[in-house]
Amino acid sequence: MVEKFIMYSKAVGNKNFLVKEEDLREKGFEKKYDIAYLPSFSLVKMLDVGRNGISSAIVEADYGIAETGSVVINSLDFQLRKATCLADKLDIVIFRSKIVESLEDIEEFLRDLTKKNAYIAFITGASRTADIERVLTIGVHGPCETNIFIVEDR
Amino acid sequence: MVRDKIKQAISNEVLYKNLKSFVENYKIAKEKAYQGHDFENIRRQLNKIKDYSYDEIVSLYEQFKENAEAKGCYVYAAKDGHDANSYILDVCRRHGADLIVKSKSMTSEEIGLNEFLKQNDITPIETDLGEWILQLAEEKPSHMVMPAIHKSRQEVARLFEKIKGRKVDENDIKNMVKIARHTLRDYFFKAKVGITGANFAVAETGTIAIVTNEGNARLTTTIPNVHIVLLGYEKLVRSFSDSLKILRALPKSATGQIISTYVSWISGTYPASDNKEVHFVFLDNGRLPILKNPALKEALKCIRCGSCANVCPVYEIVGGHVFGSTYVGAIGLILTCFYEDEKIANELLKMCIGCKTCSVNCPAGIDLQSLIFDINAAISEKYHVPTYKKIAAYNVLPNPYVFSQVSKIGKFLQKPIVKNKEIDKIPFVSKDLNFRVLPAFAHMSFTKIYQKYYNENRRKLYKSRVFFYSGCAIEYFFTDMGLYLLNLLDKIDVKVDIPKKMVCCGLPSLHMGLGSAGLKTILKNLRFFDEDIDQDVLVLCPTCGSTIKHEYPKYTTISPKDYQKSIELRERVKSLSQLLSELGLKITYKHKYKVTYHNPCHQKRGLCFSTEEFLKPILGEYFVPLKDSDKCCGFGGSFSFDFPEISSKILDNKIENIISTKADIVLTDCPGCVLQIQGGLKKRGLFTEVMHLSEFLEKYTELEEIK
Repeated sequence: MVEKFIMYSKAVGNKNFLVKEEDLREKGFEKKYDIAYLPSFSLVKMLDVGRNGISSAIVEADYGIAETGSVVINSLDFQLRKATCLADKLDIVIFRSKIVESLEDIEEFLRDLTKKNAYIAFITGASRTADIERVLTIGVHGPCETNIFIVEDR
Repeated sequence: MVRDKIKQAISNEVLYKNLKSFVENYKIAKEKAYQGHDFENIRRQLNKIKDYSYDEIVSLYEQFKENAEAKGCYVYAAKDGHDANSYILDVCRRHGADLIVKSKSMTSEEIGLNEFLKQNDITPIETDLGEWILQLAEEKPSHMVMPAIHKSRQEVARLFEKIKGRKVDENDIKNMVKIARHTLRDYFFKAKVGITGANFAVAETGTIAIVTNEGNARLTTTIPNVHIVLLGYEKLVRSFSDSLKILRALPKSATGQIISTYVSWISGTYPASDNKEVHFVFLDNGRLPILKNPALKEALKCIRCGSCANVCPVYEIVGGHVFGSTYVGAIGLILTCFYEDEKIANELLKMCIGCKTCSVNCPAGIDLQSLIFDINAAISEKYHVPTYKKIAAYNVLPNPYVFSQVSKIGKFLQKPIVKNKEIDKIPFVSKDLNFRVLPAFAHMSFTKIYQKYYNENRRKLYKSRVFFYSGCAIEYFFTDMGLYLLNLLDKIDVKVDIPKKMVCCGLPSLHMGLGSAGLKTILKNLRFFDEDIDQDVLVLCPTCGSTIKHEYPKYTTISPKDYQKSIELRERVKSLSQLLSELGLKITYKHKYKVTYHNPCHQKRGLCFSTEEFLKPILGEYFVPLKDSDKCCGFGGSFSFDFPEISSKILDNKIENIISTKADIVLTDCPGCVLQIQGGLKKRGLFTEVMHLSEFLEKYTELEEIK
């Protein structure tokens, strides 16, 4: 399943890395980013993002979908949502055990969260457009680059 | 005037180039995206998922409303465009919004939201790059998913120069996108209200989903404190499971992507910098009554992927500003009938060539071409139909005696311009009409040739019989195709019967929009089929065959005897290739000519039998596949006379593909396609021979029964 996820993630231009938990617990890791949101690693460094955006953010995803190479991020938190929209580079951490096979596997997650106020994002690659003469350009209104870090937790 | 718009579009080199390369790349990308998936199964699933009755939609709406309101959202049921616009204006005013941002919403184009807001001193800023470019150019979208596909990089650079006040490099597209990124970023932060559409509205929990690539919908819904969602009732789905199945297909059919970059699931009054206010404006504007109509409500299953435009041979030539109104492509023609001015809709319907490519590509399984065809046949006579068409449809086509008199007159009048059974040029008509060489009226009708044939070839014993319906093209023009058939079948001891009188199948009248003339012709035709049809009904024209198979049952639903005959015919009508295939013969190709094959629209997508697959084993190494073999040749019957400029351009592409095969012969099994392709090749002085299957098999193969 991880292979399938990486295949589709690669196809949209993401760089994918298999890492160990220790790599992310490295001291000062979060210094590389303007914003870090890694609750599983007790690493949360937020700030209020404004019009000028930020250079980089690293965010933990709730799920990954192998069928499409997508990550699923609960984006209810306003600051977190702004960060994922306005970072030039968005790095995403996903635990291997949280990668599911197909779109239908996210059904329950969607249903449960949306019983209350919710904002859930499926993200597959960096923002893109082909609106000018169908020439594909990466980086429109969202990140210009996304990298995926898959944590081996199994 | 449509005529002028067509001429303008055809002479636009940029548009032609962009569309041609887009269509080619789309085909490849879509196929790749669906690899590993059963597309037919997906179509069946989606067609079922989106099958609602009026009561169900109302119930889903109530469920959505309850769930959304429980989370503090406002839900409004707008009767029409004006109602929706007024509600939205009111919300904007209450928040003192003089500037609002929008992510792409076709529904908002339908109701003219932007114009309405501007009239009321509110500036709407489109944030989807394509829509923003069009906003600057003051133009309308020409495609549902790629709205600015008709604009060149030069045009975009000039537009950006105007607003930036400096030179913009027209060849640096990356930089132009950066300009959009920075300029529009400001607007997200200045706007007090964000307006979006929704791809799905999940009633289960009152949640919407927005499918995008650019990230503009995320910012539109995140930065401003007020979010207004404008959506038609048809966006409602029962469950997340349903929406995910639609999501699986939507990006694949829209752009050939596995999934779009972003899918945002939004529910309730999700947090913002201040108290977020969320409004859902559900739009009727004619949708609700349509839901009560079992035939028309199929169109409301549309998932807005745009693939019907992407595969349409007419759209490819003229683009969305001609082939559509607010909505473009096949679905656009239908929705214009639902939501916009019927006079305009009526004109648009005429531009459908009838190739059915949209119908087989629609991921929601909507038979788009049939809907266009049927609506056209029902409403055309409310508007002007040329007198000569009405005379032809009501008086000539259903009446074999009158038709044969007309053909006698035709034979006489054509004398000065016929050479070698062909008409190179019709004098005194527009130059556009003479883009191909035409066949002349045959010396003797096929019925007469048939009678002569069996008088001169009396035999006592035949192993079996088949009923042959020739159709007008073979009866009056391509009689040789019929004669080759008689010879061919005689070799395998099959006797051919024909109707006592050959009446037009009715399709030309229906295609011209004259539904009652078509019905008259169909009922007349049925009279010459026996009560008990116990033989296979062979056709050499798949258009006639398709009409008998699909239209006859539809047009005779409340005429019991005719309906019974139609159902019987439906099971028995078949092409020559299907007949021979079922007879299980050994067919040996006796020559060395290289042969390629063009798939008539009504053979592959009408009679649903692949002559190509039948031919491949017979021709072996002498078969050369034709690129886009099942793409329309541009004939479309009356279409090629009504829209010769478009027909001619579609033919150009077909001929280009034929020439690249370097084949000696191009085979096909439709007299209309023979007319078009042969006529086009001859006009260009090209020597590839065009043959109907009946002629080819009779001349170049040997048929043997397998003992």
